[in-house]
Amino acid sequence: MVPRNPCIRVWFPKILSFARQKNGRSSERTDYGITCSKWRPRKWKLSCDLAGSTMAESYVKPGNQEKGWNDPPQFSYGLQTQAQGVQKRNFLNKRVPPPQLDGSQVSLPSGAPLPAKPLSPTLPLAPPPSTVVLPARRLSAVDCTALSASTHTECEATIEDVMGLLDWALTACRTTVKRQVCDEVSKRLTLFQEMWISGKLSSPVKKRMYYLAEELKKQNWDSADETHRSLIVDYVNEVSQWMVGVKRLIAETRNLPTEVLNAEVEGPSPKEDTTQNTQ
Amino acid sequence: MATYQEFIQQNEDRDGVRFSWNVWPSSRLEATRMVVPLSCLFTPMKERPDLPPVQYEPVLCSRPTCKAVLNPLCQVDYRAKLWACNFCFQRNPFPPAYAGISEGNQPAELMPQFSTIEYIVQRGPQTPLIFLYVVDICLEEEDLQALKESLQMSLSLLPPNALVGLITFGRMVQVHELSCEGISKSYVFRGTKDLSAKQIQEMLGLTKPAAPIQQGRPAQPQDHSFSSRFLQPVHKIDMNLTDLLSELQRDPWPVPQGKRPLRSTGIALSIAVGLLEGTLPNTGARVMLFTGGPPTQGPGMVVGDELKTPIRSWHDIEKDNAKHLKKATKYYEALASRSAVNGHCIDIYACALDQTGLLEMKCCSNLTGGHIVMGDSFNTSLFKQTFQRVFSKDYNGEFRMAFGGELEVKTSRELKISGAIGPCVSLNAKGPCVSETELGLGGTSQWKICGINQFTTLGMYFEVVNQHNAPVPQGSRGAIQFITQYQHSSTQKRIRVTTVARNWADAQSQIQHIEAAFDQEAAAVLMARLGVFRAESEEGPDVLRWLDRQLIRLCQKFGQFHKDDPNSFRLSESFSLYPQFMFHLRRSPFLQVFNNSPDESSYYRHHFVRQDLTQSLIMIQPILYSYSFYGPPEPVLLDSSSILPDRILLMDTFFQLVIYHGETIAQWRKAGYQEMTEYENFKQLLQAPLDDAQEILQTRFPMPRYVDTEHGGSQARFLLSKVNPSQTHNNLYAWGQETGAPILTDDVSLQVFMDHLKKLAVSSAS
Repeated sequence: MVPRNPCIRVWFPKILSFARQKNGRSSERTDYGITCSKWRPRKWKLSCDLAGSTMAESYVKPGNQEKGWNDPPQFSYGLQTQAQGVQKRNFLNKRVPPPQLDGSQVSLPSGAPLPAKPLSPTLPLAPPPSTVVLPARRLSAVDCTALSASTHTECEATIEDVMGLLDWALTACRTTVKRQVCDEVSKRLTLFQEMWISGKLSSPVKKRMYYLAEELKKQNWDSADETHRSLIVDYVNEVSQWMVGVKRLIAETRNLPTEVLNAEVEGPSPKEDTTQNTQ
Repeated sequence: MATYQEFIQQNEDRDGVRFSWNVWPSSRLEATRMVVPLSCLFTPMKERPDLPPVQYEPVLCSRPTCKAVLNPLCQVDYRAKLWACNFCFQRNPFPPAYAGISEGNQPAELMPQFSTIEYIVQRGPQTPLIFLYVVDICLEEEDLQALKESLQMSLSLLPPNALVGLITFGRMVQVHELSCEGISKSYVFRGTKDLSAKQIQEMLGLTKPAAPIQQGRPAQPQDHSFSSRFLQPVHKIDMNLTDLLSELQRDPWPVPQGKRPLRSTGIALSIAVGLLEGTLPNTGARVMLFTGGPPTQGPGMVVGDELKTPIRSWHDIEKDNAKHLKKATKYYEALASRSAVNGHCIDIYACALDQTGLLEMKCCSNLTGGHIVMGDSFNTSLFKQTFQRVFSKDYNGEFRMAFGGELEVKTSRELKISGAIGPCVSLNAKGPCVSETELGLGGTSQWKICGINQFTTLGMYFEVVNQHNAPVPQGSRGAIQFITQYQHSSTQKRIRVTTVARNWADAQSQIQHIEAAFDQEAAAVLMARLGVFRAESEEGPDVLRWLDRQLIRLCQKFGQFHKDDPNSFRLSESFSLYPQFMFHLRRSPFLQVFNNSPDESSYYRHHFVRQDLTQSLIMIQPILYSYSFYGPPEPVLLDSSSILPDRILLMDTFFQLVIYHGETIAQWRKAGYQEMTEYENFKQLLQAPLDDAQEILQTRFPMPRYVDTEHGGSQARFLLSKVNPSQTHNNLYAWGQETGAPILTDDVSLQVFMDHLKKLAVSSAS
């Protein structure tokens, strides 16, 4: 049974699996122990915090091999910002001096089996050693791509829920913000609505939009803004047409005097937070 | 030895400084005999999460020719409230605000742990950051779409109050007026006619009489609207600009068969520079050029529009057969200098399969501290993510970009400054600490770096001027102060002051101290920068000969050997890696142009002369790690003997990350052992290098190319071309046993190189 961490949401299989590994790891030692115990946990803790606060996804997509020669994989906004926050460690930067200068022979990499037991390619293939117990390593994000895709449950929020919240914010804005701006925002929200209804939006976009709308309602401006940023970075082709309207809405609502916001509180109340409880 | 390494690391972490020598030879003569000049790599914006800036002005030495900043090395008389400048020995009274100073009550700048300190100062108006997009529309549909999306995305990453502008170009150049009114207007320029800055400003209505509506110039500090019709705050025009970008079409002018599209990159850049020059000089601004091909018309054209004439190659350049090279280079250099004077930096994002003219345009970024990013297409994760990372933020949530940096260097009397190598221009500030000997960009004690990030690193070269017969007193120290004024991304003006000191030593009696304090990593990078700087103007073989001569001299000076006995040659531990660095540097794309286009060489050199020590060293000698069942991942020699069948190798060349599966590993993988539960450890072994590679990919700027290959794979060539060919088809059988992989090359191996080096070093003839 995996212990539940309250800040982990269901579509973070990587983090869940990490938690599993972390708990099971304490009794294990060893060779990889240095790398594992020293730095990975620190990093992953951070990712939990971040993911919990902005709903950013952690995934890695393969690069565009067709257009780019050896194109690197693409990291989600969540992974990128998390990497930015951490000070770059100098790892993998050790070098070995060449043997020529101290007069010794070319040394083989340490730990190598001496040629007495060569793994010769001409022999029938011997299986890899299976007795060596290595500590479980975290599931990499590369692996997670498939996993996270498969565990994406359908979004339970409806367009009415999301639009209700966004419309509430827009109505609040209409009191002070220029009409033209509100109309422009409204135009884009309509576009968003149309795309949702016609099934052009993927499940993660819908979910995160619902989360964003809720955060907006709760006046968690930074979180809403960060969610908008993660959406436009990760799903720019789906959201580029209308996201700027949402962005503007967040900015304008944030600038409203609190009285206006509180006056509008009677608007539709946010639905129960379903995302927290889906498993 | 460990202590010196700790000392070096500590100093780099605290001050962003790595010296080639950490104990300095005390006379001019001795210093020249050290071969590697007294020099350092200095990272002005080194990230210091533990360094809160102070909110007051620095205290300056009152001597007009000195003006050094009060620092922990100054002698303080607390009773008389005086401090003595450690550079010119002037005694200065403390300003009134320091009246309460005492031994127990010191300001931060006097505490030894604040050898680097940052001041926030109130100077001039705070202007928002400016981002001017200059976008090529002669792209394929798919590329243009991807670029448009990236630009739209970037509006969400910019600071909300930043000013943003848009220029598009193809056959014509369009300067888009940004307004919230919903009607898009643009000014169209012909792409063939060069215009002076004044003409551009007049045509855009930026000169005062022509456009009374035009608001705000920095000359009117009270007026906080710095925007013009062409540069508007993101938060105001984000919706319109998003629409404008979505509506961008490919250049409508027909491109006949056998022709290149007409691309007026030169004029577009000229207008961008002129626009900023006219409206917002001396404020932090980025011109971001996105281009998908070479400039083909007008000033700055690199190749004609006939497809049958290919763009210049190294071969053409050597044969003096590159028709547009000199003219175009001159044109872009003039633009770059103008931009640098105004403190604006120029980025170039060039995505195309063929060359785009980076060779001619590189100065735009090199002189202004802008980025160059080279990719195959705008629709690649390499471009998209690299572009995102331009807007990355630090631990405080602040953008990792600073503008308009001015670096000033002060030295104690025994030292003078010979020059700097990095993404900067000289400010021609003469003074008592400027040396007559120039190394790199010399003849000045001040440089301007228009765009700086946390990695931007300059190589600074010094000269010891103390005469041999005037010994420096025993135990005294030499000092250097770096004063960097810049505009922080939060638009604050800041000054960072780093003051460092090192001991002098008499090179005759204390040579072992000097030797032990040699930083071979820093020295390799600093010598390499000198080499690359020379390579820009000299022939390749001359540069290699110069490097070789320096290496031989260094070995003669610091090696231990019996004359004419190569086998007796030894180098101490502090020099042990240096010859290997030089060996790989000789083979690197920074000095060898073979197999690289002129654009690629420019690109590699651009990054080499700006990155910090760790990254630069990776570029010189790529890192190779080996993963196996026999222990934790370990660094191995960058040598063909490290390519073993039961290993996975991870190679980082900075520009490429290569994962190479040895023959047996590859067969196991093919047989699917990783899928079986009893071979879970094999699965983990396969995963380990992927995870480590991912860590690098997540932070590296620019994003490297990523190669996952195996024994016999065609992509294995990336690894094979970098490792030292210790086993080749020529000597394979002499080795007796099969370890490693032979490389089919006639290149000289490190062993042969070292044998020659030893022979030359011990030779009594030289």
